[in-house]
Amino acid sequence: MRDTLRLDRAVEAVLTLGLTIGALLLLTGLILGQLAPLRWGIVALMLTPVARVVVVTVGMFLRRDLIFGVLSLGILLVLATSILVSLRF
Amino acid sequence: MTLASPWFLVSMGMATGLIGSLLGLGGGVFLVPLLTLAIGAPIRVAIAASLISVIATASASATVNLKRGLVNMRLGLALEVATSIGGLLGGITSSLLSHRQLFVGFGLTLSAMGIVMAARSSRRNIIADVDLDPGLLGGRIEEGGRTYLYRAKRLPLALCSSLVAGAISGLLGVGGGIIKVPVLSAFCGIPIRVAASTSTFMIGVTAAASAFIYFGRGQIDLPLTAAIAIGTLPGSLIGARLSDKVHARSLKVIMAFVLILVAGRMLMEGL
Repeated sequence: MRDTLRLDRAVEAVLTLGLTIGALLLLTGLILGQLAPLRWGIVALMLTPVARVVVVTVGMFLRRDLIFGVLSLGILLVLATSILVSLRF
Repeated sequence: MTLASPWFLVSMGMATGLIGSLLGLGGGVFLVPLLTLAIGAPIRVAIAASLISVIATASASATVNLKRGLVNMRLGLALEVATSIGGLLGGITSSLLSHRQLFVGFGLTLSAMGIVMAARSSRRNIIADVDLDPGLLGGRIEEGGRTYLYRAKRLPLALCSSLVAGAISGLLGVGGGIIKVPVLSAFCGIPIRVAASTSTFMIGVTAAASAFIYFGRGQIDLPLTAAIAIGTLPGSLIGARLSDKVHARSLKVIMAFVLILVAGRMLMEGL
């Protein structure tokens, strides 16, 4: 139970961090009318769920929940494939 | 960027984020029709903007729902494998289907989901005896000051619907909650609040799997998407907090109404 709560808090923290960085960059870009901060803000938002999956994967392995750790690793693999495919365009 | 004012786009993002977060849908199901029909954005640009908005909604709502213990992380992980594969395939194949085929197929799916949801709105997926084993993918939930137990049923159906939901998310930018929440709640034994919160937790990853593809193709209109995403963040946080105050049956009835309404609009567009 304590492990679950700790993992929940870690996921919350990484999501909050990703959203804060993304929102700050987007606001900066919109206020200054510049595209570079907007681009990086969108990238920060897209990477937020990826960072969340990384935290969940590590958390699952740390608490020896192997089945769900492997499932989470599979999700990370799909996201990595998506990033690699996007780099080929 | 379209001619719509940034404030209008921020307001649109806020409204769709609020409703999407409240119902566990992500908001894309409203955003794509609004962007294409109301301000004339090209459909691919609307889908890409919607995917980013879904990521923002999902991430913001999850921070609230995790605190309240409404997210079933194990169930989410099991289904996320199927949705992320679907999302990736949907993103890659999005250029192969015509708009008409997409709209008609989506409209028919939503109609069926809306009817199922309305017919099963009085169903309660909770067990009063909390000493029973909830199983690997079940859990416990607090309602009205009491703790209840629920068990996940029909996992193959949940996985198949998650794969389809992921593919639809990649093709139409709608997040996929519109398929997952009704199926989990009506057939798989998951209480509506847990289904909505777990779906919201998952759809950020599903949307990200396709969003990278749209980003790589250069189909993201940066100012338009940024204005919508900025509105989505506070809207989602408000929606997630409000969901606690709405009765479970009311949530199902609202969702059935929304499903049928959007299905009608999609079918009109496709036929």
